[in-house]
Amino acid sequence: MTYKIERRGTPAFSAKISRRGFVKTGGALFVSLALPLRLATRALVAENSNSIDPTLPESWLEIHSDNTIVARTGRTETGVGITGYYPQTIAEELNVRPEAITLIMGDTDRTPDGGYSAGFLNGMTNVRKVAAYTYQALVGLAATHMGVPVSSLSVTDGVVTGGGKKITYGELVQGQHLELKIPMKGALPRPDPTGEVGMTSMDGLTVTGDPPMKAPKDFKVIGTSFPAGHIPDKVTGKTKWSCDVTLPGMLHARMVRPATMGSTLVSVGTFDKKQFPTAEVVRKENLLAVVSPNEWEVVQAAQSVGDSTKWTEWAGLPGSENVTKAIRAHKWVKASESKGKAGETKSALESAAKKISATYEQGYVRHAPIGPFVAVADVNSDGNVMVWTHSAQSQGLRARIAYVLSVPVEKVVVRWMDHAGQYGRTTFGGDGAEADAAILSKLTGKPVRVQWTLPEDLAWSSVSPAWVSDMTASVDRNGQIVAMHSAHYAPHMEDPRPLGALLAGMPSATSKPDAWVATEWPYDKIVNRLEEAYGMPNLAGDSAYGGLRGNIMRTPGQRQQNFALEGFINEAAATAGADPIEYRLAHTTNERLINLLRATAEAANWESRPSPHHSARRSGSTAVTGRGACIMIRSNAYWVGIAEVSLVPNTGSLKVTNFTIGCEPGKIINPRQLDRCMKSGVVMGLSEALKEEVTFDNSKVTSTDWSRYKILTMSEIPQIKVVQLSRDDKGFGGGSEAANALVPPAVAAALFDATGVRARRIPLTPKYVNSLLKA
Amino acid sequence: MATQLRLSVNGTRQTVNVDPDTPLLFVLRNELKLTGPKMGCGMAQCGACAVLLDGKEIRTCITPVSGVEGKQITTIEGLPALWAQEKGLSAAAGQGTLHPVQQAWIDEQVPQCGYCQSGMMMVAVQLLSKNPNPSVDQIKDAFTNAPPSPHLCRCGTYSAIIDAVQRAAQAMRGGAL
Repeated sequence: MTYKIERRGTPAFSAKISRRGFVKTGGALFVSLALPLRLATRALVAENSNSIDPTLPESWLEIHSDNTIVARTGRTETGVGITGYYPQTIAEELNVRPEAITLIMGDTDRTPDGGYSAGFLNGMTNVRKVAAYTYQALVGLAATHMGVPVSSLSVTDGVVTGGGKKITYGELVQGQHLELKIPMKGALPRPDPTGEVGMTSMDGLTVTGDPPMKAPKDFKVIGTSFPAGHIPDKVTGKTKWSCDVTLPGMLHARMVRPATMGSTLVSVGTFDKKQFPTAEVVRKENLLAVVSPNEWEVVQAAQSVGDSTKWTEWAGLPGSENVTKAIRAHKWVKASESKGKAGETKSALESAAKKISATYEQGYVRHAPIGPFVAVADVNSDGNVMVWTHSAQSQGLRARIAYVLSVPVEKVVVRWMDHAGQYGRTTFGGDGAEADAAILSKLTGKPVRVQWTLPEDLAWSSVSPAWVSDMTASVDRNGQIVAMHSAHYAPHMEDPRPLGALLAGMPSATSKPDAWVATEWPYDKIVNRLEEAYGMPNLAGDSAYGGLRGNIMRTPGQRQQNFALEGFINEAAATAGADPIEYRLAHTTNERLINLLRATAEAANWESRPSPHHSARRSGSTAVTGRGACIMIRSNAYWVGIAEVSLVPNTGSLKVTNFTIGCEPGKIINPRQLDRCMKSGVVMGLSEALKEEVTFDNSKVTSTDWSRYKILTMSEIPQIKVVQLSRDDKGFGGGSEAANALVPPAVAAALFDATGVRARRIPLTPKYVNSLLKA
Repeated sequence: MATQLRLSVNGTRQTVNVDPDTPLLFVLRNELKLTGPKMGCGMAQCGACAVLLDGKEIRTCITPVSGVEGKQITTIEGLPALWAQEKGLSAAAGQGTLHPVQQAWIDEQVPQCGYCQSGMMMVAVQLLSKNPNPSVDQIKDAFTNAPPSPHLCRCGTYSAIIDAVQRAAQAMRGGAL
């Protein structure tokens, strides 16, 4: 049968349902993707033979006769609660309980859409539309079955009621094999060295059309705190993580990395074969590893090999204390991206009665997962490649591995499993142990499990680049900002080349070192503004393995730019003698921002007055306190952060005592999961504000364990207060990512409030704060 | 050289044939397939690998397996049985239950990625065995200042952990939640 709805004479959407046959037991409705005709060719199907065939059933959603539902997405649980709110969203549109839904995530051969897991809004829109199409098909089926018009049917918890009759979804599909096709566009990524990040696309497939969807006022499941599905198995030890994969004949591997970031191999070291009889050295160019079926044996043998391997000397890094100087020394030509009014802003700045300017600096930080990266790969003699790992971009990783090994992408399958949180490190499908594992498996002919060590992960993984921002503004005689110019300078932030490929001299693709303006401008009353982002290659980018390979990390670009913008707004407020929150309110007409600022300030018991506090001081052995604020707009979500700090000036040791964070992301899908992400984002932001910095000398990274790459501990967390505003008229916004970026500007402002000292660099270590106080 | 060692893990006797210097973590994960404890820093700086040894937390990444013979090892897989034993439940009744710490971790939705949480729950179980009603400061102290290192969570779940420890404490004291 064909099922089609037309709304007001216009084909707003179309989805076809057809019966493929009858089955003796069970029955199901399979929801698959209807590709545009030009894509739905045999060639495409053949090319993607190892991924789920988007022209066949079972790709998105299955409604089973026992009333269970299977949903599939290439997106993965990154710790932000996708396993909670994806089922919620699907359940909402299907009118079922979210508990009925089983989610299959991330496997390239078992999920349809691809895309990156940080792309929550896009990914969730996909599953929401799929569910909406399916709902229309199911009520159409029910109408036919029950002899009742669609308009008189209602559905609750998967039971269709109308005309005095009722039927469950399961009964509707009982004994049948039905298929629904829905429209989509896009394509799964393929390797493309000329593409944005070395592949053809980042987004995977997007469901198109405009199926009727519920209005927020009718939501029953969205807006509730449905628990995240991944949690029970994680607290009982049942979850199978990527580090738990074992295969028959599998070898454990430990990598032996070069002595410096640019050293090449001179001679391979040795180990005692009598002591470690099953260990073997494997090498391809500068990729050096020891493998053995026994993990403990390989650890010890690799240590011995590492100790006795000789590498060339190299010293091409500037040293982390000279990062700003190195960025300044680059021959800058033009901005990669500009926003705003260049001419008007420049002339307004030139003719200004009063001008203020400041430079903000940030060092390198890194994702620093608690679990060093791990991967298992099995490269068969026929060239088929299986990879088990924890990438947030499985289809992208599939393309990348295919490129490294020079095999067609259809030869590669990536299976996703849980692992330690990584905060954007694998969004481009790169920077893990996968390339190491695949290369070693190809060389040994056996499945290989590569476990990175913490020092290796903290030295060799990609990094979130350092940053320099030059800010200039003109103010009128009331202190109101008339024009503002922001110029941000940063090394490459989209270099997803896998380390293993670089060391082994195998193909790997990156992107141009372009920077972008990540700020969503919150101050519409500052009409004359110019924002510029300048990108440069990785530091030591021309060395053998690309130097400090820059990558995105939680709230990429905007975290760094917001530190400068909001720090500078706080400076302007102080110059004007204005309360920092009142000053922000005076520069925007945005109702959502204004509402959230007021609500968050009230929750924090914000006292309206200028900074610094009248009792601020920069010396003394008793504590001073202060408070500071900042805002941000990102992905249709509004944010406010308010920090309260305490410090004894003579020690320079800064303690954040309270943090109030407000978020208005349109309709809140899951208040509990949002609460978790807001609080934990504050913790990561505090870690970045107070502690984190990748240090390196002239040849290598030196912050290679937790005593040298310090992150926040439990005793350092403040009292965290959360303010959530949900509204039905602004769609959905991104709530899981941005909270970290609200912390550094607010804490720096609170330090100023307490001491009158302006910090324009993070981290605010005791040493740095001391140097400011004593300056 | 491989040696036969007898271990007591989660209330069950196990025999393994390994180099006595092998870190307990590798024995638990690779030989006994108890994958709750995780490989983290490998140098006792993070706590992801923690288990209880006679009720006290140890870091299995630096503990040679030879040092734990004759002692009771508990991983998260064994927490239900530990609770059943403490409450005097039958083996059958114990199978269907969770340790209150595990239940609290679910109720408070603590894990984000969850990688560190096996170790975190070990601290919670140990703390609550000594202090049935810990304050926030006592909880922070237990997770931060007990040797050999703070328990680190990169996702930043610390405040959820504090809530969960207090919830578990209440449940273990028999209080209504």
